[in-house]
Amino acid sequence: MNTPRTKLSLAGLTKSYGSNLPPAVDNLDMEVEDGHLVALLGPSGCGKTTTLRMVAGLLDPTSGRIMVEGQNITNTPVHKRQMGMVFQSYALFPHMNVQENVAFGLQMRKRPKQEQQERVMKALEMVQLDHLAKRSTKALSGGQQQRIALARALVVEPTVLLLDEPLSNLDAKLRETMRTEIRQIQQRTRATTLFVTHDQDEALDMADRIALMNGGLIEQFGSPHEIYERPRTRFVANFIGRANLFEAAIGSESSTGPDGLARYEISVGDHGSFHAVGEPGMAGSVRNVLVRPHRLRVGSAGTGAEGLRGRIESNSYTGDSVSYHVRVGSELFTAERLTDGDTLLSVGDHATISWRAEDALVLPEELQ
Amino acid sequence: MTAVKSDDAPRLAPSQPAGPGTHEKRTARRGKLAAGGLLTPALLGLLLGFVLPVLWMIRMAFNEGAGSGVVIETFTLQTILDPLTDSYYWGIIWNTFSMGFTSALLCIIVSYPLALFLTRTVSRWKGILIAIALAPLLSSDVVRTYGWMVILSPDGILNSALLSIGIISTPLQLANSMPGVIIGLVQIFMPYAILAMISGFGRLNTQLEEAASSLGANRMTTFLRITFPLSLPGIFTAFLLIFVLSISTFVTPRLLGGGRVQVLATAIYDQTTELLNWPFAAALAVILLMLFGTVVAFYQALTKKLEGE
Repeated sequence: MNTPRTKLSLAGLTKSYGSNLPPAVDNLDMEVEDGHLVALLGPSGCGKTTTLRMVAGLLDPTSGRIMVEGQNITNTPVHKRQMGMVFQSYALFPHMNVQENVAFGLQMRKRPKQEQQERVMKALEMVQLDHLAKRSTKALSGGQQQRIALARALVVEPTVLLLDEPLSNLDAKLRETMRTEIRQIQQRTRATTLFVTHDQDEALDMADRIALMNGGLIEQFGSPHEIYERPRTRFVANFIGRANLFEAAIGSESSTGPDGLARYEISVGDHGSFHAVGEPGMAGSVRNVLVRPHRLRVGSAGTGAEGLRGRIESNSYTGDSVSYHVRVGSELFTAERLTDGDTLLSVGDHATISWRAEDALVLPEELQ
Repeated sequence: MTAVKSDDAPRLAPSQPAGPGTHEKRTARRGKLAAGGLLTPALLGLLLGFVLPVLWMIRMAFNEGAGSGVVIETFTLQTILDPLTDSYYWGIIWNTFSMGFTSALLCIIVSYPLALFLTRTVSRWKGILIAIALAPLLSSDVVRTYGWMVILSPDGILNSALLSIGIISTPLQLANSMPGVIIGLVQIFMPYAILAMISGFGRLNTQLEEAASSLGANRMTTFLRITFPLSLPGIFTAFLLIFVLSISTFVTPRLLGGGRVQVLATAIYDQTTELLNWPFAAALAVILLMLFGTVVAFYQALTKKLEGE
């Protein structure tokens, strides 16, 4: 049974384009809470758009179920799904003006003329384009077209709002403005939203939950904070933010903290040792360890007891910040710090890299 | 960055002897010359092969014909006014117009689904399918007209088939009649209609149809509100093309009409080669040209209205 707060749920959703090809979407399960904005994030070809199109009804799943508010809509045709969709190309009808475009969905629902008029104007006010109601869609800028497309999708009060890379056709500056604006409108209307993007910043900034997809599967589903701070796999750690990832033999496990994470002692041959955190029960195995570059400290050799000893391989100074590449055995670590006026280390110097135990995460993903 | 971008560098260099514009002006002039040079053969061909003959023909229409090849050099409106005051020729003008209109309309009706399918298909056979649709162009319309004569004649394939099933009891009079001519024209001009529509369907885009259906439009509504209105430019272009081709064609009305279908093209042929009244033939040709002009003007107005939306 679904919990009452679940708006959209996908169960075992699969799309396959032929038995000799790997499925585009592979047995996908996901639950979207009412009012949440969920980002389907991933590299191109990961199945995120295929998933969105199946939810919209534009593509038939090979197997699996799509449920909205507990009702199975897998076999409901597109035009009866009551969803709103914003396309990558906006897909505004070129032979209709702005108002007619926004009114289209209400006309299809046979709402009275008076009501149509009012709701269209309200939707246009929401995107701050009510003064352009009579304008031809051809005369609009990209950002304006984007907003009209959003108004057109929202005016019908859709059960689920679907956004297919809505910002990818805008220039960088406008993209950030629209990001904020879409998020605000989404929060105000509390429209449950599925948002396809390949841009991690967009996903981190806008989403309540991120479904990070890879090869037709969800690698990890969680809040932006979880995805960034507690990635479960190497792929997720690499895809979101920048990462130092290295394999290490996990040593003894000590106390489990209040956050449910155990502390591990890890030694790296004669280069030194450090502490890291991770889910309990991984002692004695070989796992990936993640340290974000800006949480890595670099000191001149012999400054601290704990840490790994290596050599500076390159440095790059930009005034505000400095980044080092530090060679420790076969691994190359990237460290990035804001400058504090201290002397810089030069290429070839011996250095010790260290971090707080909580800043190094042992990934639970098992290595083959 | 302090370096000057390399493509800006020459303009900033003080040693450049001439002003910055000179070089560009020279290039532009050279470009114009090249374009002019490349256009010359085509323009010359058009002048010699089309403009001059048409002017000569128009001039001929102001002469008087005495029949049997005698042309009286003069300047009179009478030769053009004669057919326009004669109900027999009004009949022919009407025949020509209705033949052009009907065959263009029917041709579009049968070609539209095909053109729409060929535009939208994502099949890997798309190229081959388009080639097949256009393949009839490989045979001359004379050959295809003869083919239709075989099919449509009273003891032809169609009639004998219909008779043997028992749908009709006497053969349909399709050969040597206007319906037969129109059937032939529709089939002969289908490839042109398909080509014209495919190229005119530029504004069609499956995402628009998907957007409409996501907003609650069923297939029929999506077609009527989105697909069809957006395909109108292609339809108009194809209509114009088929209309013009139909009213100017001679072979099909002549052969499939069997002398019983008189349109401007066949009348002009008779006047030119049998009655040898060239001024009168020229006058009929001028009338045909005016019919063209009217339809083209109408088309222009329509497309302007469509684009203005």
